[in-house]
Amino acid sequence: MTEDKIKNLLQVADRAAGEPGPTHISAAAIRRHAGHRQLIINIAAPAAIAAILLFASIIVIQAARPHKPSEQKQIVSLQQELKHLQAETDAVLNLVQQVLEEERQTERLNDLQATLASIPDPIEEAQRQVDKTAFVLVYQADRLYRQSNQTDSAVHAYNQVIKLFPQTRWAEVARQRLTEIENRKPNEPHSQGGQRWKPRNV
Amino acid sequence: MTRTGDDQILVEQFKQGDESAFDKIVKEFSANIAVLANRLLGWPGEVEDVVQDVFLAAFTGLKRFRGDCSLKSWLFTITINKCRSYRYRQMLRLKIFSRAADKDSSLSACAADQRPIDSEIFERVRRAMKTLSPKYREPIVLRYLQELPNEQICRILGLSENALQVRLNRARKHLQEKLKDLIE
Repeated sequence: MTEDKIKNLLQVADRAAGEPGPTHISAAAIRRHAGHRQLIINIAAPAAIAAILLFASIIVIQAARPHKPSEQKQIVSLQQELKHLQAETDAVLNLVQQVLEEERQTERLNDLQATLASIPDPIEEAQRQVDKTAFVLVYQADRLYRQSNQTDSAVHAYNQVIKLFPQTRWAEVARQRLTEIENRKPNEPHSQGGQRWKPRNV
Repeated sequence: MTRTGDDQILVEQFKQGDESAFDKIVKEFSANIAVLANRLLGWPGEVEDVVQDVFLAAFTGLKRFRGDCSLKSWLFTITINKCRSYRYRQMLRLKIFSRAADKDSSLSACAADQRPIDSEIFERVRRAMKTLSPKYREPIVLRYLQELPNEQICRILGLSENALQVRLNRARKHLQEKLKDLIE
């Protein structure tokens, strides 16, 4: 009884609703849709797989970065501090190298000065050679006068010393000898008197 | 030759590559499928999308059709599944856009106003049917509106005879409560 009433009500409502709107479904449209869907599946499936792989790669890469943002900031600040310290160290090392270089240059200069100091003065050396030559001439003249009685040769040699080396003390010695010879000539021969003269400063 | 025999021939022709067979299937069943979809979805009036989905699925799966049931039952099964999907999508849309509900009701109301029969009764029944879940609404539609035999309903819905009777009883009870004043 109730079932019939329900059925009746439903059929009344269905009739009231009427037929559905006209459908313009055609087999050709369905085939086109099927073709498009197949195309989309063919394209979408690889694209979806690629997207998933890309997404997974991004996640893996992100996960591989263990640092949190705060840690990263700390690391960045530490890196900056390290760079700063490294720059300071480089500056100090440069300074030390400059100081060492200056010291090396000073040592080299001192060595050069010492070497230079060890080289004799050529003027003094020439003076010394001149003095030595004058001495040798006076010595030879003394020997000629005292030992060989060659007074003329000795006088000539003393005169040569006075003439050639007038600034030396041996020129003065040569003058003294010439004065001695002049004083002795008239009175006594130089070989007499028993004492033999020896040149000084030899 | 019987109707089922004709359908079997069409299916065989389609399987052998004769696409005109599918044209004939569409022409023959599109109206029936549209009516069923309209009833299952609560008489929205416009069911072209659902019908298109049904035939799209049929076109894709017809080569796998084994002929265990009639082509009509097979298409009705697809229609029921497509209507479930459609309702599910509608439900999601309603959840996302609450305005869609008003639009839906106004559209239905408009359709009802165009009918000469008492729109009040139609609206009450439509609302009552809407409160039924698909598992109870489908047997009701197939039994009282499509007037299919129980055996075919069981095959379409994949239910046993007992399960079908249980669902029908529960559905009737629900409608009786909702439409008490109209029934009495």
